[in-house]
Amino acid sequence: MNLLNQQTSITRRAALGAFGAAAAGYAFLGGTQRNDIPSGRVVLDYWEKWTGHEAAAMQTVVDAFNASQDRWWVNYLSVSGLDRKAKIAIAAEDPPDLLGLWHRNIPFFRRSGALLSLDSLGRSRDDYASVLRPILFGEMQDAVPTTCSSIALYYDRAMFRKFGFDPDRPPTTVPEFDEVINALTIRDKDGKVERAGFLPGDPGWWNWSYGPFFGGQMYDPVADKAMVDSPGMIRAYEWVQSFPQRWGLENLRRFQGALVDNPSPYRNFFSGRLATTLQGPWVAKFMQEEMGSSLMDYAAAPFPVDPSVQDANNPHGSIECDVLVVPRNVRHPEGSLAFVSFLQQPENLERLASGHGKPSPLVKPSASFLAEHPNRSIEVHQSIMVSQNAFAEPFTEVWPEFSNSLGAGMSQIDVLQATPAEAFAQVQQEVQAQLTRAAARRALRESRL
Amino acid sequence: MKRDGFLTFLPWAAPWLAGFVLFTALPVGLGIWYAFTDYTLLEPPIMVGTKNFARLADDPILGTVAWNTFFFGLLSIVVGTVLSIALAVLLSKPARFQAFWRSAVFVPSVLPLIAVAAIFKLGFDGELGAANQLLGFIGVEGPNWFGSGAWAWTALLLMSLWGVGPAVVIYLAGLRDVPKQLHEAASLDGVGSWGRFIHVTLPMISPVILFNVVIGIINAAQVFVMPLVMTGGGPGRSTYFFAMYVYDQAFQYGDMGYASVLGLVQFAAILVLTGLVLFLGQRFVYYRGA
Repeated sequence: MNLLNQQTSITRRAALGAFGAAAAGYAFLGGTQRNDIPSGRVVLDYWEKWTGHEAAAMQTVVDAFNASQDRWWVNYLSVSGLDRKAKIAIAAEDPPDLLGLWHRNIPFFRRSGALLSLDSLGRSRDDYASVLRPILFGEMQDAVPTTCSSIALYYDRAMFRKFGFDPDRPPTTVPEFDEVINALTIRDKDGKVERAGFLPGDPGWWNWSYGPFFGGQMYDPVADKAMVDSPGMIRAYEWVQSFPQRWGLENLRRFQGALVDNPSPYRNFFSGRLATTLQGPWVAKFMQEEMGSSLMDYAAAPFPVDPSVQDANNPHGSIECDVLVVPRNVRHPEGSLAFVSFLQQPENLERLASGHGKPSPLVKPSASFLAEHPNRSIEVHQSIMVSQNAFAEPFTEVWPEFSNSLGAGMSQIDVLQATPAEAFAQVQQEVQAQLTRAAARRALRESRL
Repeated sequence: MKRDGFLTFLPWAAPWLAGFVLFTALPVGLGIWYAFTDYTLLEPPIMVGTKNFARLADDPILGTVAWNTFFFGLLSIVVGTVLSIALAVLLSKPARFQAFWRSAVFVPSVLPLIAVAAIFKLGFDGELGAANQLLGFIGVEGPNWFGSGAWAWTALLLMSLWGVGPAVVIYLAGLRDVPKQLHEAASLDGVGSWGRFIHVTLPMISPVILFNVVIGIINAAQVFVMPLVMTGGGPGRSTYFFAMYVYDQAFQYGDMGYASVLGLVQFAAILVLTGLVLFLGQRFVYYRGA
């Protein structure tokens, strides 16, 4: 009994000592701060998705901002799974002061009232390319572009010349493109594809985007209605499905599964196994990094379209845009707005775009930006960016779910399990149900306001 | 004395109790509540009654993810059980470097699953992946593992075997408990080694098998990291599993209410399957001394 009591008093003391030591340790070591921040500055945390040269390009803008004044200090942080972590941080009312999202995240954050107004910046809708306006402006401006891209067809000019095509006159229609694809494709005696003229699924980032090239549209934003099974969409994916039909499904699987000499997503194009590819303007930067002095003689052109929708003045192409927002409940909204305003100065936007190898999100980029851009085909991307035929993914908060359904349908098309009409009939049903459900949820929330 | 004991217990158990309340009891309670709400995470929850439960009936994806999870669980438990028993039997035999072999089987399971999944993804990817390189050495052209559902499943199944170490250790302990006299008696009766394994060893380690199968069911029903990293649920939805769907509903689609319902369904399914296995266990499991 006495022994027990004695042990008890010792363990209590030990426990208190341990807790005390832990608290002291935290007090001295747990709250350490970066020591390169000048004293007196208010630190603004900026969560962004980029790493590597893309992060470095933004860091130069951040450094310029930090040097331009003595009140705020932006602390750039590369964060993976950014959109999901941001949701949790905002829900917990501890958001970063600045948040870099993808344009496709905006509808959900906007509808949830999670973004602060940026109207005080005084920017006009007309400052930005028309395809970007719905992304940046809801009932108010609540997002600004950081870097935006348009997607184009890249090709090796030397290869075009070798096969008798004029590299200065790339194909503009799908029949012309098919001719190029067939000429540039090499298959061995067993039918195995050694070089593909083009593959709709490589690199696989824009598999959703073929519809508009054939006059298709998968979503009507005015009626909030799915149009996945519309005739243009079916025609587009019949063309996509023609590739495994032309060359054989197993041959394509083998070709796409093969690594060449590096794990880069650009490997097939850089190695010459893929003669043409759908790519963003940043590819020039990666080409420089990966190919160095053996840089290919590349060029870009708007993706060929069905002759029925051809419009020489308004090329077709998908766009994507990285945006900067200020979440609600930030600690220092004034500082956040100061950085956003600094970033939106044309010279800073262009410095960032150039660092990423992307076009300017502004309607009128400067001549020096175009002349000094690291991508020799930047004018093609710029022309798509401001085109009336530029398009983005359906701008709806159900896009993540929509794209999951679409991806499942497109997989069936890719492996010849279903015709586009069959696959898209199912997708249409699923997506329409998602849109209806989202509308009902919106109505429920509005009824409670 | 009793009060004194409780006061001693409390500070020592407090960290665990706090952790249990904060990270288990509270989330479970909130999950049950959210199941009856419309909750986007960024806006306050709104009560919607049983609407989220009604949605289960016409969810076109639920059947796919439930079947994928069930079938994957079945395959991985059967294959994993056979392999881990076989490894345990091998490792229980006297051999040179026995400790090394035992460690070699166990060590892989201490690696973080996400890192293992990333390595396997590279290993199964194309011509430079180790899997196709190895097949190439024996003159077989490897498949595009993640290009078709069947091959993606095969890759996932092979990876699931990576973590058999803990089960092997438990089987090893079980094998040590099998009385030698029973083996000797069976030998005297002319029973061969295979017969002794089937009629002596397996019944004697059946409680251990039951335990591992129950743990296997719980793990298989929650399979998440491995397919998320290796296949992302594709191609199509061929490797889309229940836990991935719950995660997508909650964090990708912003429907915490429906995700909570799915979580409850998952919990109920684990409970029913575990109960079923335990019930069947009464008939097939032999408890010494029972």
